[in-house]
Amino acid sequence: MTPSALAQAVGDLQMDEAASLVKERLDAGDEALAVLAELQGGMSIVGDRFEAGEYYLSELIFAGEIFKRASAPLQDAIAAAAGSAVGTIVLGTVKNDIHEFGKNIAGTVLSSNGIRVIDLGVDVDPKAWVDAINESGATLVGMSALLTTVFDQMKEAVATIEAAGLRDKVTILIGGGPMTEEAARYVGADHYCETAQDGVVVAKHILGVS
Amino acid sequence: MAEQQGPPPNPLFLERMGRLQTAIHCGTPDRVPISLVMDTFACNVMGVKYSEFCADLDVSGQTILGALEKLGDVDSVQWASYAPAILGMVWLSPMKLPGRDLPEDALWQLDEQVRIQPEDYDRIVQMGWGPWFGQYIGRYLGEAAAAGAAMQEKAPRWVGEFMGRGTVVFSAGTVDHPYEHLCGGRTIQEFTMDLFTRPDKVEAAMQAIMAEKREQTRQMIRAIGPFGYWIGSWRTAPQFLSPKLWDRFVWPYMKELVEIVAEEGAIPMLHYDACWDREIERLLELPARTCVLATDGQTDLFRAKKILGGHMCLMGDVPPAMLTLGSVDEVKAYCDRLLTEVGPDGYIMAMGCAMPPNAKFENVKAMVDSVQGR
Repeated sequence: MTPSALAQAVGDLQMDEAASLVKERLDAGDEALAVLAELQGGMSIVGDRFEAGEYYLSELIFAGEIFKRASAPLQDAIAAAAGSAVGTIVLGTVKNDIHEFGKNIAGTVLSSNGIRVIDLGVDVDPKAWVDAINESGATLVGMSALLTTVFDQMKEAVATIEAAGLRDKVTILIGGGPMTEEAARYVGADHYCETAQDGVVVAKHILGVS
Repeated sequence: MAEQQGPPPNPLFLERMGRLQTAIHCGTPDRVPISLVMDTFACNVMGVKYSEFCADLDVSGQTILGALEKLGDVDSVQWASYAPAILGMVWLSPMKLPGRDLPEDALWQLDEQVRIQPEDYDRIVQMGWGPWFGQYIGRYLGEAAAAGAAMQEKAPRWVGEFMGRGTVVFSAGTVDHPYEHLCGGRTIQEFTMDLFTRPDKVEAAMQAIMAEKREQTRQMIRAIGPFGYWIGSWRTAPQFLSPKLWDRFVWPYMKELVEIVAEEGAIPMLHYDACWDREIERLLELPARTCVLATDGQTDLFRAKKILGGHMCLMGDVPPAMLTLGSVDEVKAYCDRLLTEVGPDGYIMAMGCAMPPNAKFENVKAMVDSVQGR
């Protein structure tokens, strides 16, 4: 299917064009949710190009900002869409690690792909994961870290989720600089995501959406 | 690396130096040399608090030396002593330090916030890098500058201590890419946006920085001596940037800095974190048989050897996760593959990046021992 002009503008990283097309569409009386869906379609193009090696992290960051700015007039629609999100992920950087960039870019690309993100921030206490899962009903958990020294904190967070009886209800994704498949096995996570876009692919697969 | 300060070199030092020099020039030494970067790992080995290591260069030097002696036959360390606060000078951000901003057993971390504003690009061009940076240091980086001064004062003594025990201290300083400076002070998010929304301003500021950095680099090397100099790549790795951006904002500056260090007779130590696979062929543009490429486990070093073998010495890259989570047998098997496929010519055994704080001692020992007879 040929993408709309708006989706194409986001996919082509045309920031001003995307913002003006959103305005045009809203001025013409189009449904905000429909416009939001096209913006998300644009982010799918970005994701496809990232996976194809045409775009890199730099383009993911820029696209995330384009989405954020272009969707600014759609806040009510976004709030409404939260109830119909394809799924919910609890996201954060684990205890004793204050690095937030990787976590933030993951949050941006996940949310712009229609997944509700509960962002716990950095230096997240193990129990906070449990509370957030219980409160949000999330079926996905995304743990980020940049330090090898926090492998054990990540393992503890997973164990705390398990001790709370929630392990079977959530799929746990991990990512960040030193993370590997081996680290995922060590901490007891389900998936290692090498990039933020990997997280989107895995999350969508688990949620059963294309 | 020819003129280390301190007492006259002992025979063991000369033997190890010769081994390293042969590898750097892409030859085959009597055995593959090994070089380590150790800070918090050394703390854990020696039972020293991270906070004490960070606060006193003599403690850091003694700690690294103590850990080195426990590990056995190690040819070289990259740094003899270390003050993490100095990292602020690379990324123009203060450091959060253990025992002060963080728990005593926590790793130091960069306190990255938006400190460089968009209008600073013009200010750097108008004022020149030195005056602008002087103001910036006064506002944000007093501690980092003090750490740099302390290293200048105390590092030579520790280089001498290591040299006297036969260990080559490889690195004398860092030569930092303008991108790393600006990206750190502006934050990754904002700086990346600037590359798209105000690229000419960024480029002009980077050129203004380079205009002074060229001569500063030459003077630094002439003052300290022709040791190895780290030219690091962290945020500038090809993994993070599209070719169009990388070709404009990274490679020209990187290449020139490497050439300057080489022209001054020193060894450019390409400490390249993250994945460089996409651009590995570009390293053929750098001076032949002069540089050392040190990767962190994310670049395919085996492929790099096929491309760069005979042109550049390779160093690394036992992955941090393997050293912390893996078994001795896994480390041995990986080292054996490195020694066979990346060595024995033009190769230095090392961990990827720096030794992880929580690396298992027996894994590190296995890596150190792997080079014996190889």
